[in-house]
Amino acid sequence: MVTSTREHDVFGAISHPARRHMLDLLASADHSVSAITSHFKMSRPAVSQHLRVLLDAGLVSEQRHGRERRYHLVPEPLGPVRDWIAHYERFWDDHLLRLQKHLSQTSEP
Amino acid sequence: MNHSIQRELQLPQPRERVWQAIANSTALAQWMYPNDFEPRVGHPFTFRVPANPQVGFDGLTVRCEVLECEPPDRLVFSWCVAGPVANTRVSFRLEPDGSGTRLFFEHSGFDLTQPKGDQAFKGAQYGWAKMLGQLSVVLGELAADEP
Repeated sequence: MVTSTREHDVFGAISHPARRHMLDLLASADHSVSAITSHFKMSRPAVSQHLRVLLDAGLVSEQRHGRERRYHLVPEPLGPVRDWIAHYERFWDDHLLRLQKHLSQTSEP
Repeated sequence: MNHSIQRELQLPQPRERVWQAIANSTALAQWMYPNDFEPRVGHPFTFRVPANPQVGFDGLTVRCEVLECEPPDRLVFSWCVAGPVANTRVSFRLEPDGSGTRLFFEHSGFDLTQPKGDQAFKGAQYGWAKMLGQLSVVLGELAADEP
């Protein structure tokens, strides 16, 4: 298996629905912790914990703006996830092609 | 981050013929994998992707259940492999199109959500890595089969 530890971190990070929601928020614009918290029912410390997981996976970066930190989406580590879906796309393209071949071979005149 | 794969095919064969190719165990074995499919809602079945020791691929079982079966319009089954494809579903919808058929294919539910907390969460990481490796091998073989 060639999958790196970092890839495991990325898959783990996005396997939680709250963290995926956070990434979706950050995809539209940078947000502060309090702005992110306003979209969730969970406490601010809980939001910070999720952000820590995303930071560790390299999916977000943080910048100080005066008294608050703003979070910014870093999409590049999601590459392996897109690759994975792309594998499945190829899987079905291959199999649908096989279906078409099967149909043309078994069709009655 | 939800994701589905959608394809639309125009087939020259009539709908009943296409239905026979997607809702029949023998036909599915021809273009998919060995299986124990039956065209009956609630029927659990598996696709068995065979092992290939030469390339270190130890086989894979896809667990499925027929969710909808309305000949010759619509076939839906769940598609379950360890990890984040645990709750995906595959659907085929057939529409008449002149003397042929328009096939709408969808594989949906790649939401990476794990249904059962921490234990499944750890399983997800393993599942992703395993599937990534195994699918690559399977796809490589398929590509090698092409002329």
